[in-house]
Amino acid sequence: MPIIEITFYLFAAVLVGAAVMVISVRNPVYAALFLVLTFFSAAALWLLLEVEFLAIVLVLVYVGAVMVLFLFVVMMLDINLAPLKEGFIRYLPAAITVAVVMAVELMMVLWVRGKFGSEAFESPVPHPPDYNNTKEVGEWLYTQYMLPFEVAGIILLVAIIAAVALTLRRRPEAKRQDPARQVQVKRDDRIRMVKMKSETKVEE
Amino acid sequence: MLAEYFPILVFLGVSTMLGVVLLGLGSLLGPRRPSSEKLSPYECGFEAFEDTRSKFDVRYYLVAILFIIFDLEIAYFIPWALALDTLGTFGLFAMVIFVVELVIGFFFVWKKGALEWE
Amino acid sequence: MNGSLLDSVNIGNWMLIAPELWVLTMTCVILFVDLYIKEERRGIIHLLGMITLIFAAIITLRGGYLEEGATQAFAFNDTFVRDRMGDVLKAFSYLVLAGVYTYAKFYMRQFSLFRSDFYTLSLEALLGIMLLISANNLVMVYLGLELLALASYALVAFDRGSQRASEAAMKYFVLGSMASGILLYGMSMIYGATGSLDLAEISTAAAAAGSGDIILLFGMVFLVVGIAFKLGVVPFHMWIPDVYHGAPAAVTLFIAAVPKMAAFAMAYRLLQSGLGGLHVDWMQMLAVLAVLSIMAGNLAAIAQTNIKRMLAYSTISHMGFVLLGMLPGTATGFGAAMYYVIVYSLMSAAAFGMVILLSHHGVEAEKLDDFKGLNRRNPWYAAIMAMVMFSMAGVPIFVGFFAKWLVIKAALDAGLMWLALLAVIFSVVGAFYYLRVVKLMYFDEPLAESSIEAPVDFRAAISINGILMIGLGIFSSALISVCMSSFT
Repeated sequence: MPIIEITFYLFAAVLVGAAVMVISVRNPVYAALFLVLTFFSAAALWLLLEVEFLAIVLVLVYVGAVMVLFLFVVMMLDINLAPLKEGFIRYLPAAITVAVVMAVELMMVLWVRGKFGSEAFESPVPHPPDYNNTKEVGEWLYTQYMLPFEVAGIILLVAIIAAVALTLRRRPEAKRQDPARQVQVKRDDRIRMVKMKSETKVEE
Repeated sequence: MLAEYFPILVFLGVSTMLGVVLLGLGSLLGPRRPSSEKLSPYECGFEAFEDTRSKFDVRYYLVAILFIIFDLEIAYFIPWALALDTLGTFGLFAMVIFVVELVIGFFFVWKKGALEWE
Repeated sequence: MNGSLLDSVNIGNWMLIAPELWVLTMTCVILFVDLYIKEERRGIIHLLGMITLIFAAIITLRGGYLEEGATQAFAFNDTFVRDRMGDVLKAFSYLVLAGVYTYAKFYMRQFSLFRSDFYTLSLEALLGIMLLISANNLVMVYLGLELLALASYALVAFDRGSQRASEAAMKYFVLGSMASGILLYGMSMIYGATGSLDLAEISTAAAAAGSGDIILLFGMVFLVVGIAFKLGVVPFHMWIPDVYHGAPAAVTLFIAAVPKMAAFAMAYRLLQSGLGGLHVDWMQMLAVLAVLSIMAGNLAAIAQTNIKRMLAYSTISHMGFVLLGMLPGTATGFGAAMYYVIVYSLMSAAAFGMVILLSHHGVEAEKLDDFKGLNRRNPWYAAIMAMVMFSMAGVPIFVGFFAKWLVIKAALDAGLMWLALLAVIFSVVGAFYYLRVVKLMYFDEPLAESSIEAPVDFRAAISINGILMIGLGIFSSALISVCMSSFT
């Protein structure tokens, strides 16, 4: 079915193009938005493989949440990008050399020995229309891979602890309300009854 | 199966086209007569005081990362909810452990005062 | 369905992961206790950390989980494995971490960093180490590694006021994530080639496919790169000196000493248990890595004036020796490598313990010059440091000698003559900078005359740690036989 292949190449091209833009655009906010496009194209590619759950999670978590964080960080950093670019230009020749060497090596291994292309593998059997990828993931994740699943929970816990440890700063100078104490306040905390003798008239 | 996504592809194509065409038409047909006054940044008649990009407080970051963590947790609920019929009590048990781990984290964050905005 | 539902409910599964469960529970307890105690009573946290380690050791070493004639026990649909090697490495992780806590408490008090985060994060890292040691599935390897790595990144940045530490954490994080990505890429290729994430099934598939399967080989190359990064061997060592230098000494101590044991276990599980069939192929890669690390580590260490950086380069060369032991792919080779990695952990704990001991008034004793004339100031501490340095250099009767000897012997037995020769030559070159420290301590004038003070538990721990250097050397056969018998 050529339309699937056309779609694949379209999204793959967008993905690679956007990824290149991420590292080459001047404005970091644009870079973050191009990263969103990269993730989005990757999600589309996953959809082509009929792994809907991962595609949706990618959009939900990465595009929805992680990129928000990215934008925060990009805006928070307030960095002057000019010095960074200098390093980029300076190391570019070395980086390109390494990249080209690696790419050539990969091509040689993959094409010359020719067992890596998609023709070496059978294409996956298309699933029937009532197939539910998400349900299938659930049936494996919570049984066969239960321990890894719980460990993933622990990793999230560590992330919480680490985030609090690294970013939470107490501000003792900040004044704030404590509703619980406000409600609990008694009359005696606020008003002090002072008994005084009534004034007597002073004789003149 | 994939054929069911075809309408979405069409929508994507149409919206991309629309975006390109509208922006392209605007830049092609719209009059453009830039002058130095028009292009200089304007801030209530003063010279610009500072860069547009000002530093965010690190507290935004904490809120954002906590959001991501709990967002990820929700992602784990979706396949679980769908498969719960076949998973039965055991599936419930697996998820309870997971949720307990995160509730501990949540409680920690709460008691630590990371959710407060002083 | 998957036929695994009932298996996971089985109580035996939970008995097998009892040490991990205990450490996790205690981490949460510490997390909560810290919320409710006053700042001046933080000592409780330290105490709880020690209790955690002691009981974890008891639970781990209790044994009795193996069936008759079996050497391994599996849990949770074979994602988790308990065996003798894992138990020994875990036990030593607890021991070294207990030492780390003792040293670190003194350090953190001095630098007013005494917060419970150090304990919770390092216990979570320990949990990652334990899971990594016991992983029998690619997913578990990755998750264990991430748990360890995430906690380590946070620990390095633990001193928020220090810009140097933040920079080190950033470097560590960026390079570490890249290595994790490469590792994950390799795993995905291996999954593609073998159709399984289970190490035993991968092993069968790899043995059947052999070196002819290009995808499998490709995956293996990426796995080796990931492992090399975690061990910190040349040319994937860039992060080590900067992280060791930038992190607070207490954290450097932790990162240098404990996770290396997990990295060794990871290498063993992935390369031997998983890709044992490709031994010829990964051996060549490890040989290059080992030679480069031993050479570059020892040569670069000579040029250092900062003891943390010097020890960092010495770590690189030590990891080269560990790889040398793994090269032959034999039981004795792995036994020797395991012995080396345990000995290395004990040595580096003592060395960084000394760095912490000499720190005073909120300044880390990270210059080599800070060790000048230590003998004049305190002969006993100088003797401990000398023993550690002799051991690291591989002087006979010290424990480091036996570690080096076993590793080189394993390489010789496998016919790797020239590799063994290079290792010997460069360990002689390396002896120079270890002995320079000894020379500074005994023959130079001290820069400061102030006496060195430390709490009693610190003094006890560092003394025991120092005596172990020679004690384990004289009575070396016990630990060696424990390590060797782990791989039969």
